[in-house]
Amino acid sequence: MTRLARTSVWPGISLAAGIFVVCLVLSLVLGPVSLSLSQLWHFVTTGPVPGDLQNAIFWQIRMPRVLLACLVGAELAVAGVILQDLFLNPLTDPYVTGVSSGAALGATIGIVLHWAQLPWMTVLALIGGFATLGIVWMAARRRGRIDIFVLLLAGVTISYLASAIVTVLMIQANQDMHAIIYWLMGSFSGRGWQEVEIALVAVPFMIVPLFFSREMDILLQGEKRALELGVEVERTKRLLLVTAGVLTAIAVSVCGIIGFVGLVVPHIVRLLVGPSHRGLLPVSLLVGASMMGIADLLSRTVIAPNEIPVGVVTTFVGAPLFVYLLRRGRKG
Amino acid sequence: MSTTRQRRGLAAVIIPAALALLVLGAVALAGCGSSSSSGGGASPAASVSSGPITVTDGSGASVTLQQPAARIVSLAPANTEIAYAVGAGDKMVAGTSYDDYPAAAKSLPKIGDFANPSVEKIASFNPDLVLAAGGIQAGLRSKLEKLGMQVYVVDPKTYDGVMTEIANVGRLAGASAQAQQVVDTMKKAETDVQAKVGSAVKVTAFLEIYSKPLMTAGTDTFINDMIGIAGGTNIGAAAGSGYPNFSTEILFKDDPAVYIADSGSMSKPGDLSKRAGYSDLTAVKDGHVYVIQDNIIARPGPRLAQGLQELAKMIHPEAYATQ
Repeated sequence: MTRLARTSVWPGISLAAGIFVVCLVLSLVLGPVSLSLSQLWHFVTTGPVPGDLQNAIFWQIRMPRVLLACLVGAELAVAGVILQDLFLNPLTDPYVTGVSSGAALGATIGIVLHWAQLPWMTVLALIGGFATLGIVWMAARRRGRIDIFVLLLAGVTISYLASAIVTVLMIQANQDMHAIIYWLMGSFSGRGWQEVEIALVAVPFMIVPLFFSREMDILLQGEKRALELGVEVERTKRLLLVTAGVLTAIAVSVCGIIGFVGLVVPHIVRLLVGPSHRGLLPVSLLVGASMMGIADLLSRTVIAPNEIPVGVVTTFVGAPLFVYLLRRGRKG
Repeated sequence: MSTTRQRRGLAAVIIPAALALLVLGAVALAGCGSSSSSGGGASPAASVSSGPITVTDGSGASVTLQQPAARIVSLAPANTEIAYAVGAGDKMVAGTSYDDYPAAAKSLPKIGDFANPSVEKIASFNPDLVLAAGGIQAGLRSKLEKLGMQVYVVDPKTYDGVMTEIANVGRLAGASAQAQQVVDTMKKAETDVQAKVGSAVKVTAFLEIYSKPLMTAGTDTFINDMIGIAGGTNIGAAAGSGYPNFSTEILFKDDPAVYIADSGSMSKPGDLSKRAGYSDLTAVKDGHVYVIQDNIIARPGPRLAQGLQELAKMIHPEAYATQ
């Protein structure tokens, strides 16, 4: 069985990697100002050149934006896989732990205090995200173990609480309402290398779960069974929760709340490559990156020079694809 | 279960609110009206014509008052500024929590903020004229009219449209004479600007309303009109009407000669030259980056006269330097 699984994940990963490369190239080439492949090669090989506006469009505007979208997509997809399997709940997305609402609260405080410039905004969003995770964690701890269902409920409750505080702040500081709303909507517009650097911090956290794919597979059969099979259940849960929390908080802190990718990508990938995490995690990472890259591409090109909010695009792209795959999956 | 509800809750609250706020953004800009320096003056002696007064408001609806308004409620800072500027300040019975100009307006009773005016609160002042804004307040008119209130919607799309609205509000408040003075001041500012820059070659300009996401003023806005009067070509007009998002890539491709960032309570542009890639923009390299206060450019009221002159100086500094 294991040997079979081991040999069969690579075609899926290679295909997903291939799709990702195509999406990456498309995102870099296409835009309101489109490039040819040879121009792309030229820009990539020459690197950033100060003073050249075409070069600036590519290296200062498009490249960081595309990389950021792909990183955030990958982060949310991996966090989605972890949390759906940890909670054994298909409706889970990276935002249920309350981390995103906590991050939103942190960012809102930043806006209200007029500390909205990077890196303060990110720092506050991270603090908000981690503080929420901490509170939820404390609430769910019973005699040294984490009760997953309490965690889920506490996460949702804290989410509501944080959202309510955000609303109160919006009403109190009504001149800042726009800034808060735009931040909450999520966008890659106006993001640069600074945000990419922050999102890159999450890369190790995307790789960590890959080393726990066996434990995650066993956990799918329930904690009791996992204990019988010798999995250090509590340690694994703690590690995975923190990983998902960090991934979500970092993603939210650079671009606001962008829905659907973290919910739908894991499901799509499960339908395509099955539930084994050795395939599921890396393929989800690549599909998440591809999907967010393409969603942002559409967001900045379809009605250019105007832009569609990227969260709207992820939903429009993801929903039909998901329904199609669900139907196909059921038939098969 | 709870997870779905939570997420839907979040999406259900945030997305419509955000969209409403996008509209509100335009309206707030439109609504945060200003008044001329003559604002605050009470003029009980303003001309009162006998018989009903009928005017057409900014939404195209006809508004008729049997006699000049004596109890005015304003639902937008711009409207408050207009009322004070035409000398109807003493007839104002309530304003919004955003009202900050003229100083006298700050102490008016409040009907709530601009986005959520309370119908009950408005009715409690028993106004004979409500000065509303367009956009997000569009649904409010029928509610107020059902309660027997007269509603005038201030929603100008051009600089001249602002003058028309001011004249109309003046007529409704029985203050036509002073309203005419305000309009004359605005007209003079326009004529002066045209005399300075009318013959100059049009210069490409970008006006930033908000930076993340990048937003600008599109067609059918008085800001777009004013950029034109000030001798500029608004590259933001390509993105459509109202206050659309704008592609940063197109901004770089169009590379405007002048970059003007709106600053105020809603938006703080910060140091533009430090934004990614901005140091390569012609406007930044040539030092043609300006910050303009939003209450003289984004509030459709008498202070737009000042905003127009500032815009002209930013877009055509050479026309003013030679004097």
